[in-house]
Amino acid sequence: MTSRAGPVWWSLALSEEVTDKKPLAVDIGDQPIVLWRDKQGIARALEDRCPHRRAPLSLGCIRDNGWIQCGYHGWSYEGDTGRLKEIPNMKDEQRFPPVYKAIPFGVEESGGFVRVSLDAKAIPPDPQQRTMPLSGTAHVPLEQAHWLDALYDDPGLVIAIKGVDFTPYLMSELREENGVFMMERSCLWGKLHWPSFAISDFPITLLSRTQPETGETELTLRDDAFNTLLTVQLAPVAAARGVTQVRWRAELGKSLKGRHARRLARGTPFSVREVIDAAALRVLKPSVSLHGRKLREALNSAPAVAAAA
Amino acid sequence: MLEVADRQFEADSTPTAPTRASGPSLNAVNNWVPHDIVMRDAWFPIAHAPHVGKKPLRRAIYSQPYFIWREDGRIVGSEFHPNEQRTREKSPYSDANGRYPMMEHYGVVWAWFGNPKAADPVHLPSLPFLPPNGGLPGYMTATVRFDCSAPVSLENLIDLTHADFLHADVVGDEKSDSETVETYWDSETVTMVRTCTNKSVAPIMKFFSGIRQPTQNVRQVIRIYLRSHCAIAYGRFTPGDDVPLFHPCTPETRDRTRMEMVMNTSNAGFMFRHIMPKAGYKVSRQDSSMTSPQSPRYMLPTTRKDLHSKFDQAGQRYRLQMMELAGRQAAGDFDYRDNVSADCSDIIGLRKELFQF
Repeated sequence: MTSRAGPVWWSLALSEEVTDKKPLAVDIGDQPIVLWRDKQGIARALEDRCPHRRAPLSLGCIRDNGWIQCGYHGWSYEGDTGRLKEIPNMKDEQRFPPVYKAIPFGVEESGGFVRVSLDAKAIPPDPQQRTMPLSGTAHVPLEQAHWLDALYDDPGLVIAIKGVDFTPYLMSELREENGVFMMERSCLWGKLHWPSFAISDFPITLLSRTQPETGETELTLRDDAFNTLLTVQLAPVAAARGVTQVRWRAELGKSLKGRHARRLARGTPFSVREVIDAAALRVLKPSVSLHGRKLREALNSAPAVAAAA
Repeated sequence: MLEVADRQFEADSTPTAPTRASGPSLNAVNNWVPHDIVMRDAWFPIAHAPHVGKKPLRRAIYSQPYFIWREDGRIVGSEFHPNEQRTREKSPYSDANGRYPMMEHYGVVWAWFGNPKAADPVHLPSLPFLPPNGGLPGYMTATVRFDCSAPVSLENLIDLTHADFLHADVVGDEKSDSETVETYWDSETVTMVRTCTNKSVAPIMKFFSGIRQPTQNVRQVIRIYLRSHCAIAYGRFTPGDDVPLFHPCTPETRDRTRMEMVMNTSNAGFMFRHIMPKAGYKVSRQDSSMTSPQSPRYMLPTTRKDLHSKFDQAGQRYRLQMMELAGRQAAGDFDYRDNVSADCSDIIGLRKELFQF
């Protein structure tokens, strides 16, 4: 899978989910992938399919030397190239032709996320410097494009921030800036307030910045004094059967003023809804998401125009 | 003497079979789509004989309905339930009355799937470790289901290196001084003999048969009757016991399998005799953990080739023989070219002195 910017890197797992104890099964669309950490602690990604008898490698185990071993017949693979390294009881005949390999994928890890590219030779993106301490994983029974549309049109259907009521009023509409889709939504604290249509000024806003290729979105909750209250990094990845796997990391702002803001620090301030109100979703009129589609179309057609020129 | 339970069988009136094809191509082993294979003109084990009484039981072979019950003690098999209001036509697999050829042998009820006129007891697989008239205690039998296609389950069985990983807690891990695999076959069977010296002792024998040595020599035989999707799994453990297992994989549908297993442990000690057949429930779950996700990946043809090792020769031969037989059947040749009911004691190396009936 590539975009106009080259191979796409998907945030497929949180760093803490990938261990040297147990393989992790994930997927990009219909492509099953197994992740694990080798002896050096490097995250590895292979197709989750043993080329011997097609059993999922994720049902196997990680050996002490960092190879992944299929749980069916015990074939062992090295993570970097996917080359077969050992068949049990083959004794001293452990040299195999290069074709004896599982399909490897590119892996990059930074900022508490493990990113995978289906192109093993893809150049990794610039590493993220910051790792946010809070994290979570949710599986949502909604296709990724619909999930992102809902995030634009009514975030309250797909995410929740403690004590925050998302309004339909935007401080700035969705636009593209340097290849990133940005928008800012007005929000209210709690449920006890005047209806949002009758409020002159909103105490908080939610700024969102979305990478158009992957849908990775950074949310920033700010108060009217421009203090950052919460930052969330969302990584929605299209998985099998139309499910979207959403992994996120978050951190609280340094200055939490007011009782509502301080409440954010108690317990988990953010969550992704795994159960979606389908009746509300069905009647949700597309508004911001319409702009999103146009922006994506414009982005996708840009290289063609440039090439034609 | 084998007998057809509910009908006189007639000589097969199928036209003379065409000459044997030259065989699948060298790459055939990678063109393996077991989901597409439907074997005809064979006896399939569909129930333990003691389970069948006056009340009809419902079974299926390749989704074809089989209702079985007893009339005057004899097994009856019908396409229709006795209380069913017929809203569908009779299939060509049953006689004019909608009845199937049925047999009762080795304590198992066998149903014929195919041309009813071709049903012949001589096509019943040889299982020399089971008493011909049944009678083994119920604890030596079990019914287990696999949500995979029957050939996937049988290929799993014939490559016993899987047992060292999936079933290590029952039959021991992969450590041994040497391991050899030999494969024998004819047009109706594939037989694999695996010999391991000084293999890690099977935990179930350590705990329930009192084996104190750390290793044991193992000779395991898997013999598959291709058409009937039945297998013999016979292990001889030294020191240890002889464990002969009847391991049928009846295709209730093309990707769901039923196993009416019988394990004759009558020569083992009291504990092992009772415990070992129950291990089938645990072992089958372990197998299913792999064959369930594996089976859908064999449903559609793919250009990607499976990789093989020298231990896969029996599995590869199984694929080739199945495809050759399926090819013959597709061409209208349903004849048996080898006798599956001939006593196979010598082929599987059965210690006959332990299994006198």
